Amino acid sequence: MTPLLRVLAAAFVALSGTALAQDYPARDLTFIVPYGPGGSTDPISRQFASQMEKELGRSIAIQNKPGAAGTLGTSAIVTSRPDGYTIGLAPNTTLLFAPMTNKDLVFQSTSDYEPIAKLVSLPYVLVVKADAPWKTLQEFIDDAKKQPGKLRASVSGIRATNDLTMQQLNRAAGIRVRTIPFTGGGGEAMVALLGGRVEAYVGTGASTAGHAEAGSVRVLAVFQKGRYDLFPDATPTGDAGYDATLGPIYYAIAPKGVPQAALDKLSAAARKVIDSAEYRKFAADNGYSVENLTPAQIREEFVRDHAMFTDLLKFLEQK
Amino acid sequence: MGPIEGLLYGFGVALSLQNLAAALLGALVGTMIGVLPGLGPVAGVAMILPLSYAFDPVTGLIMMAGIYYGAMYGGSTTAILLNMPGESASVMTCIDGYQLTKKGRAGAVLALVAVGSFVGGTISVIGVMLFAPWLAQFGILFGPAEFLAVSAGGLLILSRISGGSFAAGIFPMALGLMLSTIGQEAITAQNRFTFGILELSQGVELVAAVVGLYGIAEILALVESRLAGPPPVPVRLREMMPTGTEWRRSVAPFGRGTLVGFVFGLLPGPSAAMSSFASYRLEKAVSRYRDEIGHGAVEGVTGPETANNAAATSSMVPLLALGIPFGSVTALMLAAMMVHGIQPGPLLMQTNADVFWGVIASLYIGNVALLALNIPMIGLWVSMLRIPRHIFLPIIVVIAVIGSYGVGNSMVDVYVLVLLGVVGYLLRKLDFQLAPMVIGLVLGPLIEKHLREGLFMSDGDAWVFVESPIALAIWAMVALVLAGSALAPLLRRRRG
Repeated sequence: MTPLLRVLAAAFVALSGTALAQDYPARDLTFIVPYGPGGSTDPISRQFASQMEKELGRSIAIQNKPGAAGTLGTSAIVTSRPDGYTIGLAPNTTLLFAPMTNKDLVFQSTSDYEPIAKLVSLPYVLVVKADAPWKTLQEFIDDAKKQPGKLRASVSGIRATNDLTMQQLNRAAGIRVRTIPFTGGGGEAMVALLGGRVEAYVGTGASTAGHAEAGSVRVLAVFQKGRYDLFPDATPTGDAGYDATLGPIYYAIAPKGVPQAALDKLSAAARKVIDSAEYRKFAADNGYSVENLTPAQIREEFVRDHAMFTDLLKFLEQK
Repeated sequence: MGPIEGLLYGFGVALSLQNLAAALLGALVGTMIGVLPGLGPVAGVAMILPLSYAFDPVTGLIMMAGIYYGAMYGGSTTAILLNMPGESASVMTCIDGYQLTKKGRAGAVLALVAVGSFVGGTISVIGVMLFAPWLAQFGILFGPAEFLAVSAGGLLILSRISGGSFAAGIFPMALGLMLSTIGQEAITAQNRFTFGILELSQGVELVAAVVGLYGIAEILALVESRLAGPPPVPVRLREMMPTGTEWRRSVAPFGRGTLVGFVFGLLPGPSAAMSSFASYRLEKAVSRYRDEIGHGAVEGVTGPETANNAAATSSMVPLLALGIPFGSVTALMLAAMMVHGIQPGPLLMQTNADVFWGVIASLYIGNVALLALNIPMIGLWVSMLRIPRHIFLPIIVVIAVIGSYGVGNSMVDVYVLVLLGVVGYLLRKLDFQLAPMVIGLVLGPLIEKHLREGLFMSDGDAWVFVESPIALAIWAMVALVLAGSALAPLLRRRRG
């Protein structure tokens, strides 16, 4: 860049900053996804961003910043320049639970960022092999009670979200199912179940549906309140009296310090997108739930879930 | 649908003008991406993923498959010509490939690799087509015990893979293993050796490390040699075709490479890289010309390069027959399917026959396209060597930096590139081998992961690792190979 160009560029940035309140967005936006392309968060982000582009009249570039279980990309959002032009996706466990165990993270409390929208949430399911002796959630729990520490469930990492979900069930049902971490993504946790190296698997409906259809696995339970359309026969843990309903929730967030006018514009646009028929259809097709919350309501949800994670961590540290 | 009807149906799908164009374009773009250091198959497929959302699903998948094996092939080009592998699967190719380039055989080797990639890819497709549902079960048989045997046993066997003294191999390998422990460990995501730098928690990026160790180090060495003496003789264009002897010597490595690659492709993990390590080791053990390997033998290039393309193809098996991706590229292809509402899983063959057979047929077409595109382009690649160095080398550095940054959008990867470039340069000056360091970097995290998974499974009982017959068989093979390589010099001495 020549010196002249550099001056012009700096002037442009400065001008776009002062003009923010009236004409936001005056240029294109960046949407950071804290996972690599190909994860389930990628289509969610692209669906959301492409509809937001129409609402805001600006392009939105998706930037994948994977690594360290979502904390790297989330840190990148939190530390980006708070001008309203960089926002991104962040999962509940990364936002709320990760800071409890990692004091190096730049976001330590929920006041370190601004929620814009609750994008989607989805439940985990408890899956066993089709030839396993347990036909219902209750049979599985009863058997687990008889032989504590014998049954094993494959998850995608110790203290990963699906591990925490299984631990919730352990605590609620007074059982001790051991969680076995199969990291590296790529469905290795499912392969461990299919290969008979573990007795159960805790994961998403999307990773299970194909195998359930083929008749190689059986879905015993869904970790939520209320029936799951993808597996209508699975017992909802919430309805069976077990307080174990943790699942991934994806939010759109902005860094702290973004001007209120920009935040308002973003969340208004986001709420329109999330209410649209197109977005609802996308969510339903993929087994996601949608709840259109205001930023204030999301903060309430943060407080509630923060307490839940704190409790769960206490339980895990006692073990 | 039987294989023959299925394939005919698949060709019907894949031979539409749009899909044919996608296969050709994919192979072409893939080759380009593979040739650029720092940009490999994963980067290429990831770049095309958002575009594929706009196509119909079969077209998108065909293009991604084209890019995948195009990049797999293209990665060998710079390894052979410049001693700069584009990614870890071409590291083995450097050793003999670059020696052959120095002997003026660059064109011939590139032609052999193109044919080897075609042979490996095509035979692998036939295997995928005929046996996909059964082969998928093979991948399921492998658990932590079996993988520990493959990865830890592999480390033992491969420690002296690139010749030299014992210390010249073991020291870089230990260095590679140590570097691989940086970052969040896989099981509980605790930070190790990150010194509070958050970006380091993702660990040492393999692509940046490989391009630094080889590419940047090679450039440093070239700059030095330019100061010290005249550059090597440029390659003459008419020496493009392999000689009869070179063809004859390549036939057996083509076959062995295909088999090794096909088997590794069915397993999770960096199967293309692992298959090229294994194939190189196999050639060193069984080839009639094993004593020449390491000093510029075609076997050391054609074996691994055939293997990594065969592995790229057979890695479609777990994806198509189970709906489970075992590697980064197939994970991206899975994402492309799911965006279009295709439910991947064991029933894909029945519920989405057009996808299953369309992809299989496109693998055939893509392999032919790759051969047809690349044989004429060899002249172009070789003539890169004639570009004046003061223009060419800075361009390579720029591309390597962009490629390293692009993998994870992280500056730390660029620092790794530069730092390991210096490390690689120093190690070479001191006569250490670089390949074992890459092997340590690749296998280290796998060994730890599978060891700990196994111990979690058995609640701390180490017997779990020798209870399975498959794991025992693998360990027995490892012991045989080790004993064989220890005894071989003794036997030879007696004979001599």
